[in-house]
Amino acid sequence: MHTTMETPATTTNLLHPSKRLRQRYRAERWFKRLGLLAIVLSLAFIAFLFFSIFSDGYTAFKQSYIALDVNFAAEEFTQAKLAHANFPGLVKKAMHSMFPEVDSRRGKKELESLVSPSAAYKLQDMVEEDPKIIGTTQKVWVLAGDDVDMLLKGKIDRKEKQSNRRLKDNQLAWIDRLISDKKLEQKFNWNFFTAGDSREPELAGIWGAVKGSFLTLLITLTLSFPIGVASAVYLEEFAPENKWTDLIEININNLAAVPSIIFGLLGLAIFINFWGLPRSTPIVGGLVLSLMTLPTIIIAGRASLKSVPPSIREAALGVGASKMQTVIHHVLPLAMPGMLTGTIIGMAQALGETAPLLMIGMVAFIVDIPGSITDPAAVLPVQIYLWADSPERAFTEKTSAAIMILLTFLVFMNSLAVYLRKKFETKW
Amino acid sequence: MYTYLLLCILLITTGAYFGGKARAKTIAEASGGMRTLHSLPSHYGMLTALSYAIPALLVFALWRIFEGTIVTSLVTKSLPIELQQLSPNRLSLVLNEVRNIVFSGFASHNADPAIQAAADLYLSTMNWLKNAVAVSTLLGGLIPGAIAYRSIRKELRARNLVEGIGKVILIGCSAVAIFTTLGIVFSVLFESLRFFHAIPFFDFLFGLQWSPQTAMRVDQAGSSGAFGAVPVFAGTILIALIAMLVAIPVGLLAAIYLSEYAGSRMRTWAKPMLEILAGIPTVVYGFFAALTVAPLIRDIGQAIGLQVASESALAAGLVMGIMIIPFVSSLSDDVIHAVPQAMRDGSFALGATRFETIRLVIIPAALPGIVGSILLAVSRAIGETMIVVMAAGLSADLTFNPLKAVTTVTVQIVTLLVGDQEFDSPKTLAAFALGLLLFVFTLFLNFIALRVVRKYREQYE
Amino acid sequence: MKVTSILAAGALTLAITAPAMAARDYISIVGSSTVYPFATVVAEQFGKTTGSKTPKIESTGSGGGFKLFCGGVGVNFPDITNASRAIKPSEMKTCAENGVKDIIEVKIGYDGIVLANAKSAAPLQLTRKDIFLALAKDVPDPANPEKIIANPYKTWKEVNSSLPATKIEVLGPPPTSGTRDAFVELVMDAGCETFPSIKAMKKSDEKAFKAVCQTVREDGGYVEAGENDNLIVQKLQANPDAVGIFGFSFLDQNTDVIQGSIIEGEKPTFEEIAKGTYPVSRPLFFYVKKAHVDVIPGMKGYLAEFASEKAWGQDGYLADKGMIPMPQDERKKYGEVISSLKTMEMK
Repeated sequence: MHTTMETPATTTNLLHPSKRLRQRYRAERWFKRLGLLAIVLSLAFIAFLFFSIFSDGYTAFKQSYIALDVNFAAEEFTQAKLAHANFPGLVKKAMHSMFPEVDSRRGKKELESLVSPSAAYKLQDMVEEDPKIIGTTQKVWVLAGDDVDMLLKGKIDRKEKQSNRRLKDNQLAWIDRLISDKKLEQKFNWNFFTAGDSREPELAGIWGAVKGSFLTLLITLTLSFPIGVASAVYLEEFAPENKWTDLIEININNLAAVPSIIFGLLGLAIFINFWGLPRSTPIVGGLVLSLMTLPTIIIAGRASLKSVPPSIREAALGVGASKMQTVIHHVLPLAMPGMLTGTIIGMAQALGETAPLLMIGMVAFIVDIPGSITDPAAVLPVQIYLWADSPERAFTEKTSAAIMILLTFLVFMNSLAVYLRKKFETKW
Repeated sequence: MYTYLLLCILLITTGAYFGGKARAKTIAEASGGMRTLHSLPSHYGMLTALSYAIPALLVFALWRIFEGTIVTSLVTKSLPIELQQLSPNRLSLVLNEVRNIVFSGFASHNADPAIQAAADLYLSTMNWLKNAVAVSTLLGGLIPGAIAYRSIRKELRARNLVEGIGKVILIGCSAVAIFTTLGIVFSVLFESLRFFHAIPFFDFLFGLQWSPQTAMRVDQAGSSGAFGAVPVFAGTILIALIAMLVAIPVGLLAAIYLSEYAGSRMRTWAKPMLEILAGIPTVVYGFFAALTVAPLIRDIGQAIGLQVASESALAAGLVMGIMIIPFVSSLSDDVIHAVPQAMRDGSFALGATRFETIRLVIIPAALPGIVGSILLAVSRAIGETMIVVMAAGLSADLTFNPLKAVTTVTVQIVTLLVGDQEFDSPKTLAAFALGLLLFVFTLFLNFIALRVVRKYREQYE
Repeated sequence: MKVTSILAAGALTLAITAPAMAARDYISIVGSSTVYPFATVVAEQFGKTTGSKTPKIESTGSGGGFKLFCGGVGVNFPDITNASRAIKPSEMKTCAENGVKDIIEVKIGYDGIVLANAKSAAPLQLTRKDIFLALAKDVPDPANPEKIIANPYKTWKEVNSSLPATKIEVLGPPPTSGTRDAFVELVMDAGCETFPSIKAMKKSDEKAFKAVCQTVREDGGYVEAGENDNLIVQKLQANPDAVGIFGFSFLDQNTDVIQGSIIEGEKPTFEEIAKGTYPVSRPLFFYVKKAHVDVIPGMKGYLAEFASEKAWGQDGYLADKGMIPMPQDERKKYGEVISSLKTMEMK
């Protein structure tokens, strides 16, 4: 122990602490406050980020719908295939019939732009599901265009000059009439949770990316956790200490500093060009991300193995356990919390990573929901990146909503690991 | 489609484990109790199980690797001769057509009869092959498994054998990291060498100007086109330094508070909350840095009369620092937490306050782990891409002024690789050279760090 | 033996996931990030209306796209690459070397390049000469136009006394970008040629002429802001003094917060760009491998969808997304290229 804690020469007791003792206590209090401040600052930052993301994104969970009276007239369906019918034409006719006074070509076009292009897909689906509706008139709620949606959410300023607005004055008048007729409403946006990507903001959904992220991370976890733990155990407990193991240690630390995009180049060279795995798929993404998270897990694992007191090992060896038994039965459980921390951080990093996926083709427009690990898929951060880069204003809220989904995913993943970590943790 | 097969293997492996264990017990009881056995019964079980599972999985893996080739070559042979003589890549298109018919029923209406026939053959081959794989895999492990089972006797050193296998597996896992390194070096080395053909190595290494403005087309005049790596690395170091100035104090203080002062309930929820910081997508941080922090710093700077660039190194560095806080806080918290309680008790018993105990006892004891966590954080800061792409900009000024715009290695690599320029131009190749140089540079840093840790590491107990 | 069982689980997963031989039943497209927002609309329309799988479109940059595209013929290589510039002879050579011999080149429309600043600042009325003087690395000495000096201008007012006295700060694409390439050629070269002494140089020493005209300053006046145009738009809002360079579709979507600068008296509006009176726009392309057209399901349908009037026509949905359509005769020409699958001549 150090000598700074010598008892001062003057008599002192707890009721009348000496100046020296008071100083030590003050330092103590300051230090504690600093620690608390550090945590509060970090948490405040998280709260701020969450708040700003939430306030931008919560509107994405509602979407505007327009009620159309669509006449599925039989003469529209004379083609051999139902899919070849002019569905956009049906939508346009329904819109014109609501506002018969609009007759100029330009006015009609402006009127038609209030409805999302996806309305035609919806009608097509309806007819294909139930061809009996041909010849009837149905009331159909279809998605409104993204500009209408933005207006209803207060993100287009009505007071702005007409030339600076995406919606013109006559369009505003139509929208107001639709609202007063109760034909334009905001409903909960289920579509966002069930659909894949789309170039129409009102139609874009997150499910494809969620599933892609899930499949990718599943592969990353099943590969990087066991391999990472095993490497850490070998290097820390079994490997002889010599130049070679030093080299390996430096090497692994170094891997953690390799820019993630370089891992993408590696993945491109090995997994796609050499092994011939298909581009843009979760399997390749998962492999690349596991190579990327491995160093994090190994370094954290080694640090926590180092912190297990040697007495534990000596005691186990002393009662006749083999080296392997000592490690597996005694050292590893004690080091598990640290290993899990490394895994959580590594997986969190993998979940939020975009750059390496650029090289292996996962930064792509993929509409269909991936069914397996060999289907093309996007992942959440990529979806966020792509939406953030889209010109349409309505993608801003989708971007924030996607971030919220990603954070939920992250919190869910973390809480599972935290539960496990808690189970393993002991203080001795 | 092989899930059921793998489940079968798993089932048989479990059976082998219990079979071997039971046999060892019987043998032990027959020869005078458990203590006569060389190893624990479970070791014998494990040995039997591994003797079955490893060969079975090997056979399976071999099938999986060669299955495609077998089917393809059989189907190719059945194709008309003129199709067979196509170049391999053309042939792959034909085979893709065949597979499309087999798997999705696509294009069946206009398909060539030869291709249709090939598809039928493909399907039937697949079917018998599937059975062959299943049978051979299940049987493949049985013989070694049976041998292991038969050879169980009380002298058999099952523990040593099982642990030997375990160790081989551990070594194999450690080798993954080595292979990754080799892979990385090779995937950047060749392109880098080509780059150094165009640009002299020392101009790259010691050049003070970075401006990859060479001609994009043959008929276009190049401009300065300087490829000096020094400003790019200076920018990287500057931003990483700022990030560490945020992350180390905040992270370390948070870690100490969590493990030494906070109650267990606070620790339980605060730590994972902090870990969320590491998982927020870097794109989000990038927007935050570029749109909130950078303008804020510029306005503050202007208010007090400083010249601040719109895309300052400070903004990117600060935000990056926040992102890597959990690397320091969580990992350090774990190692601090793991310092034996006896050491704290000893220090308290001598009359030290908590702060003194932390400063003089706990930190030195936890130092290797703390340094490890900081190294990891530095590494992350150097390798981070998206934040700097969005907030730090691309202008490569050689400056250590945090209020100016700088660029980093990762930003340059990304912009060079995803640009519109020709892929074999020195511009794109420069990305590989930068990657290689960064690799060597961080290797050197880590080498020094290891030396330092070795020197100050104190093994307690 | 917990570790071993975990390891076994890992090995099992690996075994399941070992190289599978799935067939590719979707179109694979790579290429320029500028064409990406337009190609994706067509792809989605194609996928949703025909019931085929939606093509997969990667945004790799034109250069990266050609690299992948020219890798060879076969399922592992993309079928189409988008580009914001024409293919280069050297890339054609790579293609030919790898057996990609029959390439169909299709021009799809134009992309306007605009300069814009925040609504809170005054709109700029620029000429290409002003832009050249503000952004070039070296400019003619105002006192002696024969002499070329390092760019001395710090504010717009110094460039042209009718402009405001704000600092020159232009956020634009980096030198690796095709947008930058087009900008330099269409604006800087033209601005440069307004100086008779430099114009004379074009004939005598073309290399020196280009060196003067096409080199962008690196002293802070021009900030390379990366390829994320939305970010540039938002940075402009945060910094009213700055001017940004980006694609027309981003101006079109953000008319309430930013305003396009008037160049040579022409406003950057859809009509002006389509008419060709607004001087800064560049063509967009895609390239198709002929060998893949019959083999990959849906190729013909996708091409037909792209070439239909409702897509690239005057009032088509691509125009709604901000792409400037080609004139009637050009549409007809490239429509025929698609229907007859006419390949390019290999140089």
